[in-house]
Amino acid sequence: MSGDSAASAPGRSSGARPERPVGRRTPGSRFARLLEGGLLQGGVQGSPVLRLLLRWVRRPLLPVMRLWRRNIQLKVVVTTLLMSLGVVLLLGFVVIGQVRNGLLDAKVKASQSQATGGFAVAKQKADEAAGAAAADGTPADGGASQNVIEWMSELVLSLSSGGQGAFDVVTLPPGDVSGVARGPRASGFVDPDKSVPEKLREQVYSSTGAAQSYSRIIYLNDKESQPALVIGKQVNDPNGDPYELYYLFPLTQEEKSLSLVKGTLATAGLFVVVLLGAIAWLVVRQVVTPVRMAAGIAERLSAGRLQERMKVTGEDDIARLGEAFNKMAQNLQLKIQQLEDLSRMQRRFVSDVSHELRTPLTTVRMAADVIHDARVDFDPITARSAELLADQLDRFETLLADLLEISRFDAGAAALEAEPIDLREVVRRVVSGAAPLAERKGTTVRVIGDQQPVVAEADARRVERVLRNLVVNAVEHGEGKDVIVKLAAAGGAVAIAVRDYGVGLKPGEATRVFSRFWRADPARARTTGGTGLGLSIALEDARLHGGWLQAWGEPGGGSQFRLTLPRTADEPLRGSPIPLEPKDSRRNRGALDEAGLPRGGGQKSATVPMQPAGEQLSAARSQLTPRMGTSAPTADPTALPGNGARVVPRPAPGTGSGGSGGGRGEDEPRAVGAAGAAGTGGAAGEAGAGRDEHPERTEAAGTGDVPGLGDAADTGDTRETALRGTSDRHRAGAEGSNEQGEAFRGR
Amino acid sequence: MGAEWREGGTRRTPGRAVAYATCGVVLLAGCASMPDSGDLRGVESTPRQDTQVRVFAMPPRDDAQPLEIVQGFLEALTSDDPGYATARQYLTEKAAQKWEPERSTTVLTDGPATDAGPTGTRDDADDYSYTLTGTRVATVDAQQSYAPASGEYGQVVHLSRDKKNGQWRIDALPQGVVMGKSDFQRNYVSVNKYYFASNTTADGSDGSRQPMAVADPVYVRERVDPMTQMVRSVLTGPTSWLRPVVRSSFPTGTALPKGVTALTPDDQNKLTVPLNDKAVHIGQGKCDEMAAQLLFSLRSLTPAVDEIALRAGGTQLCSLTEERAAAVAARGSETNPGYLYFIDGQHRLERMTSGSGNTKADPVPGALGDGAKALRSVAVSRDEHSAAGVALDGKALYVTSTVSGSSIGDPVLQSKGKTETDRLTTPSWDTQGDLWVADRDPAAPRLLLLEKGAGQPLEVLTPGLDGRINAVRVAADGVRIALIVDKGGKQSLFIGRIERGQGNAEQASVSLQELRSATPELEQVTAMSWAGDSRLVVVGREAGGVQQVQYMQCDGSVPEAGTLPGLTEVTSIAASEDSEIPLFATSKEGLLWLPGGSGWRTLKETASAAFYPG
Repeated sequence: MSGDSAASAPGRSSGARPERPVGRRTPGSRFARLLEGGLLQGGVQGSPVLRLLLRWVRRPLLPVMRLWRRNIQLKVVVTTLLMSLGVVLLLGFVVIGQVRNGLLDAKVKASQSQATGGFAVAKQKADEAAGAAAADGTPADGGASQNVIEWMSELVLSLSSGGQGAFDVVTLPPGDVSGVARGPRASGFVDPDKSVPEKLREQVYSSTGAAQSYSRIIYLNDKESQPALVIGKQVNDPNGDPYELYYLFPLTQEEKSLSLVKGTLATAGLFVVVLLGAIAWLVVRQVVTPVRMAAGIAERLSAGRLQERMKVTGEDDIARLGEAFNKMAQNLQLKIQQLEDLSRMQRRFVSDVSHELRTPLTTVRMAADVIHDARVDFDPITARSAELLADQLDRFETLLADLLEISRFDAGAAALEAEPIDLREVVRRVVSGAAPLAERKGTTVRVIGDQQPVVAEADARRVERVLRNLVVNAVEHGEGKDVIVKLAAAGGAVAIAVRDYGVGLKPGEATRVFSRFWRADPARARTTGGTGLGLSIALEDARLHGGWLQAWGEPGGGSQFRLTLPRTADEPLRGSPIPLEPKDSRRNRGALDEAGLPRGGGQKSATVPMQPAGEQLSAARSQLTPRMGTSAPTADPTALPGNGARVVPRPAPGTGSGGSGGGRGEDEPRAVGAAGAAGTGGAAGEAGAGRDEHPERTEAAGTGDVPGLGDAADTGDTRETALRGTSDRHRAGAEGSNEQGEAFRGR
Repeated sequence: MGAEWREGGTRRTPGRAVAYATCGVVLLAGCASMPDSGDLRGVESTPRQDTQVRVFAMPPRDDAQPLEIVQGFLEALTSDDPGYATARQYLTEKAAQKWEPERSTTVLTDGPATDAGPTGTRDDADDYSYTLTGTRVATVDAQQSYAPASGEYGQVVHLSRDKKNGQWRIDALPQGVVMGKSDFQRNYVSVNKYYFASNTTADGSDGSRQPMAVADPVYVRERVDPMTQMVRSVLTGPTSWLRPVVRSSFPTGTALPKGVTALTPDDQNKLTVPLNDKAVHIGQGKCDEMAAQLLFSLRSLTPAVDEIALRAGGTQLCSLTEERAAAVAARGSETNPGYLYFIDGQHRLERMTSGSGNTKADPVPGALGDGAKALRSVAVSRDEHSAAGVALDGKALYVTSTVSGSSIGDPVLQSKGKTETDRLTTPSWDTQGDLWVADRDPAAPRLLLLEKGAGQPLEVLTPGLDGRINAVRVAADGVRIALIVDKGGKQSLFIGRIERGQGNAEQASVSLQELRSATPELEQVTAMSWAGDSRLVVVGREAGGVQQVQYMQCDGSVPEAGTLPGLTEVTSIAASEDSEIPLFATSKEGLLWLPGGSGWRTLKETASAAFYPG
């Protein structure tokens, strides 16, 4: 856990946690907890030490891995190198093996014939010496053995002098020394005992024929030992005593030939591998360069520079690709141009229509006022018609004004007149303005976080319009329950959230509420006021400030609209001081309950949880500052800001400390815009339906969800809106103080 | 015009490419075939490695029979066992302590035969004896000096059964080792120890008198650390035969310090020899002489020593390189003769530049070369300034200068012999400029010495000489003399030691001591010449053999590769102490020479005597 807090949100944990563990756990267990946390976290991959080591090893490799993933040229070249290396190695082994066998065969044959000749010579010499001794008439007993010592030395000398360096001769006493045995003799500084293998000696001793074996000649002088073929046979000396005669043929020459082949193969193989690598590099380069160019052009196209084109040379496949690509880009550009033109035309049309309608409307209005003023003189049916006329004219005027406003935004004519204002004033004005409506609905509007000034550079008129819209909406859809307006400021942002506990929003509706003329149920007739453009205008107002307007809601759990504005007009937003999803949402409460963590019973069941605003605010202030400084929340690129519902929870908990807004400041406005665009599209699709969203919401609440269905939607929503802060909190453990800090988690 | 140009240009480009490609192909083809020209360079001769056969002694087997014990013992003697440790295992403890293998080495023609001795014929007896028999060839004494020997060898080896373990062991045996001739040649190598002549000096290059190095040939075991053996042997002193006329520069008692086991030269071929305290207070000159002695000696064993450093008492006394050694002491093999001299068909003295292969002969300036006197034999002094000539009839000896215009003068010696072969022999000059000549007058055979080639001839005492001196050659070191002695129709070679006694003031007495036969097996020695510090080239005939030319060590042993290409009816042979200088000989064929050992070649059709100065 400590690891988690260190990795994800040190600022938050330091502010919210300190007193908790002391109260709940024994002080001695802190280390154990640390250890447990480390082990728990490393449970997937092993001990923390191992993980640390892995990370340490992986860190320098990461750029390489990244290069590997991104660079097709590198992939192809490396694969080619590896494969050619494998082929060369295989080929080398086969060739060397064959050369070795061939060399050995030749050597063995030559050696065998030489050794056989040598054995014959030895036998012949022994016979000659024996014959000479017999001719001399020396007594057979003692005399016959007289010359063997010298005879054998001379034999070895004469045999070995035949092959200077080509072979060496060794005599050894027979394996079973029973009779008179001569000591070992060796020519050419050969160590006889070590050079002749024991198994060969056994074989020679046990059989009458010659035997051969491979061995290593060990020399008594400084000469290096070398591999050799040893051929041996048991022969008799002039006295008829057996001895073993060995021919040792060094394989020096063969080894030299083999190493020559090896060297040649290695050099050739190296050349081949390098050459293949270079060829692969060149070939891939020829293919990859245009592909990279195309990728670059495509990126620029996707960034909106529609006039970018590929350079096309030649007639090959790449050129065809380029041509097709260029055609595609051309068509795209054309279509987009057409669409833009169409859209511009539509906007102008709307604007013109609104203007043109105004003049006759004024006349009609004046006429209608006259009729209305004189209604008492009419019969009841006509009087009722006059009233209806006046009412509908009011709506018509409002609608027309809204249309004008919208078309102003669309034309880019809206100008921001920003000045530092205290938002509390605005809120107070709005709340008091909405008081009659609230009273009528039986709703209490409460303001939280207005103990301290919440100052921002903003256009008071527009902010007030936005807020009025939100508050009136909340009151209208609040079903008589409390509406809470929450103010907060932290970092470079101020936020105002309007929370109601009405019917709420279905999944997916959080974005659509900002669409023009959007409504959930087109069949339902509009009974209450509102033009269906209020939220659209509010969104445009927020965007004009460089701020966000976002909605959250759950079916049956109410909704919350949050306006986030930068403290100064030109400052980009990074986060919001108020989480989009209120902490008393069903999901949050449900998660806490599931975690089985202790909480007050009142809090569990409370439908309108309330937190002391002052504490919250001070806590938020103290936590936000370090947090903003240390770790800017990393936004999921897939998250569409302005739509908290779409923030997809990240699998890695360590990075999931992002705000409830789920995105970085720079991403959000764009996405809001996108939402707005979608809204426009939606409006286009449902043009003429002319209904507000609000009745649809109430209807949704009215029809009510089947509980099971509602639950399913709820869980789905929960999954969708799973915010990182929430998942953090799972691990952190929900405790009393955590509940308090939770409100600021999104920052 | 322009079009033509362009056309030409485009046509030339493929032509050039073809030319380049052809060049490349030719180059590659050159690499792919064996070269057939070029790369001229000298070839370094790789030393021919001789196939040395080593015998590995085996310890006695358990329960070996007496004969096996004797055979095993004899075999162990032929091994390279440094201290004969394996051979000693065949002996009883007592015998092993008493046995001194270094005492002597007896060389037999065929190795010792074992004859069962008189006792112990019964198999179950507790003692047994064998007689080792054979024909003696030579003996090497405790000083490692070789001496030819003859006669039958017969020594008894007695074995007894060990009381405790019942094993047969030799308990009585002759001292020393005994082995066959081929084993001896395999195991031993002849090397020269160098000492300095006591009373002979040579002219140094800078005019000072240099000590003259005398070679003292000894035999060491070739494969038992010969270098250390050699150093020890040099330190011990000269062999007894040479001791009266040579001196060693090492102070008496100098030896290797205790604990020194093996000496090996370092990477720069420098051998550092530690000496004991006796050598501590030695002057620089003396030390250089000591180092020169060691350097000369070790270089005769192996050329792998270029420098000798002597250490004693923890400090380096001196160090001597091969180049500087020549300035410290003179050596016969280092003095190159300027010319080869010979007597041509008109009995005139002519000369050729020696060693250059230039065969153009010139008459020697002076009286002997102008043909005024017909010459039988001549000797030119070692400085090549004077010459001594014997007239064609052998009666008179003339000494004259080799400067042109010199007159022949009166004979300095005359012989009274009746026939030409009974008169004066070929004279010989020694390093001090004294002239040696023998008078073969059967009535009064004598060896004469003329100091500085003039004056009253001094009769040299030759105690122990049996026979008439047929030829005289003084070695370059001036302390040894080679004589061909004729006795009863047999001519054999003797080496003698020149001792110059004090005598009285006017008449120094000179004598030849301890003449020893160098060629016991040769019957007819007709010519000889010194061919190295301790080597002679001898023309002779074995009993029942043909005449052959061969090298002999002056101690009587025949070096390896001693025999030279055969030549018949050689009348004279010329060899220099420097082995690089070719051999010349005269025979019926005229003047012949032996370039590079391939075979004799005729140089002049008629010539009667060839010789180098000396």
